Amino acid sequence: MSHFDEMTCLLYMEGQLDADHAEEVRSHAATCTECRGLLRALQTESVWLRESLEADDESVPARLVQAPEHGGAPWGWISALGLSAGGAYTVWSGFIEPWQAQAAQAGFTQGNLLTMLFFSGAFWKGWDAMRSLIELLAMGTLGLVVMWLLRRHLRRTTALAVVMGALALAVALPPSAGAAELKHGDPNYSLPAGEVIHTDLIVSAASTRIDGDVEGDLIIFSHSVTVNGHIKGDIIAFSQELRVNGPVDGNVRAMVQNLQLYGTIARNVLAWAGDVNLDQDAKVNGTLTTGSGHLEVNGKLVGDLLAFSGDVDINGQLGRNARIRGGNLTIGSRAEIAGQTTAQLRQPPDVSTGAKLGSPLDWTITKSGSETRYSSGRYYVHQILKWGASFLFGLVLLFLVPGFYFDAVKACAKTAPAIGFGVLFLFAIPIAAVIVCITVVGLGVGISAMMFWVITIYAAQVLVGGWLGEKILGEGAGVGAALGRLALGLAILRALGMLPYLGGWISFVVVIWGMGAVALAIYKNMRPQLAAAAAVV
Amino acid sequence: MERRKSIGEMSTAELADLLAQVRAGDSDAWGDLYGQYAPAIFRFCRRALPTREDAEDATTEIFMKVRQKLGMYDSSRPFTAWLYKVASNHCWDTLRRRRIRQDLETGDLETLPLEHPDPSQLEQLQIDHDSKHVRAGLAKLPDRARMALVLRYYSEMSYEEIADTLGVRRAFVGVLLLRARHQLRDVLAESGGGLQGAAAGGRS
Repeated sequence: MSHFDEMTCLLYMEGQLDADHAEEVRSHAATCTECRGLLRALQTESVWLRESLEADDESVPARLVQAPEHGGAPWGWISALGLSAGGAYTVWSGFIEPWQAQAAQAGFTQGNLLTMLFFSGAFWKGWDAMRSLIELLAMGTLGLVVMWLLRRHLRRTTALAVVMGALALAVALPPSAGAAELKHGDPNYSLPAGEVIHTDLIVSAASTRIDGDVEGDLIIFSHSVTVNGHIKGDIIAFSQELRVNGPVDGNVRAMVQNLQLYGTIARNVLAWAGDVNLDQDAKVNGTLTTGSGHLEVNGKLVGDLLAFSGDVDINGQLGRNARIRGGNLTIGSRAEIAGQTTAQLRQPPDVSTGAKLGSPLDWTITKSGSETRYSSGRYYVHQILKWGASFLFGLVLLFLVPGFYFDAVKACAKTAPAIGFGVLFLFAIPIAAVIVCITVVGLGVGISAMMFWVITIYAAQVLVGGWLGEKILGEGAGVGAALGRLALGLAILRALGMLPYLGGWISFVVVIWGMGAVALAIYKNMRPQLAAAAAVV
Repeated sequence: MERRKSIGEMSTAELADLLAQVRAGDSDAWGDLYGQYAPAIFRFCRRALPTREDAEDATTEIFMKVRQKLGMYDSSRPFTAWLYKVASNHCWDTLRRRRIRQDLETGDLETLPLEHPDPSQLEQLQIDHDSKHVRAGLAKLPDRARMALVLRYYSEMSYEEIADTLGVRRAFVGVLLLRARHQLRDVLAESGGGLQGAAAGGRS
């Protein structure tokens, strides 16, 4: 009779064969030296494995001596949740809503600013298709979560089939519907006069010159841009310099160093810029909203002006109200402001006697923060509520991604690498996101990266707070203990952030530190995968 | 064969009493329970997970789970068995979360060598390698192979329990164990005596 294979011998030895089969092996082994030898070797191997595994060569680490504590009393939870909800409400009502209201007052009536900036049809026509893709992905994610929950009951092949099916579906989706002409400069791009682009025009080039007309939107990523032609849609520009000489039927939205407007803009101008100049021949029929270092309004602005600027010079005509928040305000002799002018400034405004103001200038001096804020009770209430908001965020992190939360809190202990990575990511992510955006195809990726970056900046204080709490109270275990530590750590960080002069720097270091901890935690979770990938390669 | 690690010297009645106190929220009782079982669970995690740091983290996390799930423990079953079940599920989940390509293959019997290994070579391998070598060799095995050996030969789990923990069919457990033995033999044979240093320091 032929010998039994090793599998059968192992199962026999482990008592896993049925009686008949076991008897067969037993009687064969009684007469077969070879099989008997194998059985003995396997048996010895089992003993050897057991002894090796039992050998106790390591002491229990000191940090495991203390039992992890259990969670706090329910009233702790209730008050924490109450404060968190209060914090969230304050952040909304105190910061976001007024800002939105201001924006709405300045003529932004098409929903919130974020929606308008990123998702309005003018920015990206493919957004509608993208939205259905996101819905699909959300459904897919939900499906995966369900599969994960049922993983014990599903065969891997089934899971794989579902994933492959979903991918196939995603690939089969129609490409985004937005028709646009895409131009890459070599290195410069120029649209000659007389030429007309009938769709949107998207340009990425070192230097861009548009002498022809564009019937859709003009979207530009470029070092310097000059627009002489007629743009019938919007201009959306990310550049060093943007000079608009020709007429624009839509809006101008620019994130630029230097914005010069010489033509007529039929709708609104939104600029995040170093310098903004509305020339005396220029006319904006909508509103002008800027965050800039220096703003000069010499031309005609039909709508409202909302400016957050270091210096503001007004020497043109403003058809409605002006709201200014900044350092200096100069209103020249040629200025005409039909509506009301409200200004919060650091220096008293310089108003020429020749200026024509619809109503008296209403201005206040903003004192440097530390002079006023510490004496106001509202400031402290705000601090407590902001603490509540960050605590709520921590709570969400702890419940949604507890593993990641604990990893990241632990990573904060590695101060030097965390700060090192933090500095890198603080600057690298926005740069990478902008580069990805330039490819346009990666617009979604770039925007997601920026959102992730913003969330991480906010999460940083939570993680460092969690770590600080643990440092003070000692390591605990369980969500309750972690929450107590988080609450304490956040309170200390907020108190430190309130210090005059130093506070800002401390908050900055906390952002870097926490950001690095996030990077380290992500790295820790990816390490085995990277190692596995390397091994395969 | 149901031989668990001897991790408690308490009588059943004492243990039941202690568990009742822990359930009632007595933190001293919780400390006692932890003191009694944490070293054994740490040792289990040290064998199941690749690094010492992982084992320390896992031990704390397992006891957090135990604290939360104690209400679900059926006192008619041995507490140690339940504890190991929680621990092994946790360790396996930890490993699964990290793993992406490793160990994804299912039970392909055809990759198993069907011929008899040479018993004398096998015995020689066992003579040449002490427990430190074996432990270092185990740390080099794929997660599932290491986990299978630890669950079977350290935690003394039945094939059913192993199948349940690792999420495989019961019939596949034998294949998994045999393949793990082969992988360990190969690792030890390849590295000879060079594992000693690694054994002392672990991979952490």
